[in-house]
Amino acid sequence: MPQKKISIRIDGELVTALEGQTILQAAQEAGKAIPTLCYLEGLSPAGACRICMVEVAGTERLLPACTTPVQEGLAVTTVSARLTQYRRMTVELLLIERNHVCSVCVSNGHCELQAMATSLGITNTRYWYDFPTLPVDMTHERFVLDHNRCILCTRCVRACAELEGANVWDVGGRGIHTRVTSDLAQPWGESPTCTSCGKCVQACPTGALAEKGAAVEEMTKRTDRLTRLAGSKRAQP
Amino acid sequence: MHNNLRDSLDEKERAFIDQVIAERSSRPGALLGILQAVQNHNPRNYLPMETLHYVAAKTRVPPSQVYSVATFYALFNLQPQGEHTVSICRGTACHTRGSRELLESLVLELGLGQRDDGDSGGADKATLTTADGVFTVRTVACFGQCALAPVVEINHSICGHVNEHTLQRQLKELARESD
Ligand code: SF4
Ligand code: FES
Ligand code: FES
Repeated sequence: MPQKKISIRIDGELVTALEGQTILQAAQEAGKAIPTLCYLEGLSPAGACRICMVEVAGTERLLPACTTPVQEGLAVTTVSARLTQYRRMTVELLLIERNHVCSVCVSNGHCELQAMATSLGITNTRYWYDFPTLPVDMTHERFVLDHNRCILCTRCVRACAELEGANVWDVGGRGIHTRVTSDLAQPWGESPTCTSCGKCVQACPTGALAEKGAAVEEMTKRTDRLTRLAGSKRAQP
Repeated sequence: MHNNLRDSLDEKERAFIDQVIAERSSRPGALLGILQAVQNHNPRNYLPMETLHYVAAKTRVPPSQVYSVATFYALFNLQPQGEHTVSICRGTACHTRGSRELLESLVLELGLGQRDDGDSGGADKATLTTADGVFTVRTVACFGQCALAPVVEINHSICGHVNEHTLQRQLKELARESD
């Protein structure tokens, strides 16, 4: 059954969307870019980062574009001073929560968090840095997990569960103590479920998950491959 | 080391867990109830890693998810709990009535250093157990008994308008019972 077509307005422009689509998907198809961090095309949306917040006419609250489904007559604003203010704040809060020192990071120059901060014009943070001392898990023979760079987007969790089916990752703890954890929080290298496929590494928007041996600025990610893989999986009967 | 986890649970414990899982079948969301029943059965009221491992294997829920659930809910303990549990309210009303001082004096009295291993939950969400395993001190966000602030719960009974002296007296009594 073909999906029902509905009309919505994005930044004043009338566009056609399909029922069941999210605001983000409809906007992307209409050629409008909404900034995202935790969204990765091909993985289920998580609504974890709150960067994609948009204004929807008729409600005071901002809504995440990546998880909010379109409705007939919806009018969305994706660019406004208010949104920029919130997005900036969100990125600043991510930056102070861990030690994102770009100059010594494997992903310097290829990091989605860094690119987001740059595009929002963030040059400093208005909040105190938390400077937590977090461990770096080097136990895996090919990969590294540096908690100091993690923004808890859960893209690794979803890539592992949805594309590899291994379910190595999840988030443990809560609040400021939340960490991505492998299995029962044993070292990654001892994980009985990890297949060493590297999908989590490719999914990670920052330098938190990287290949061993990569030096500063050397780690580039191929998220496009994950998206293609997800597409071909869906196409299978 | 984790491969041997299953072997370290004894026969009786495994049979109990099997039964709990069988009773709750495989309906989604069953994990919470399973973990709660298994924890209650544990003499020290906690979920050892071996147990989590066994539950994951038996329910076919990925270990990462079992760990996620067990560490998200304050209800679950991954460390052995003391014989008596003293929960100090750190909600707003109790805070303004001096619950921090109450907590600090209790921690001092019982010789519990505020250790910060990074994953214990920080100062305001503490769970500390004395070395002799007699007392566990934890903090709670609000008991909903704000009129009685500061509130302390001792072994599931609520005590209102608590001060250092009344608290110490009660703990002495409990300690005597445990001897
Ligand atoms: S390790 Fe990377 S992909 Fe995983 S939650 Fe952290 S930032 Fe996201
Ligand atoms: S992209 Fe929508 S919440 Fe992260
Ligand atoms: S703040 Fe302590 S009971 Fe409400």
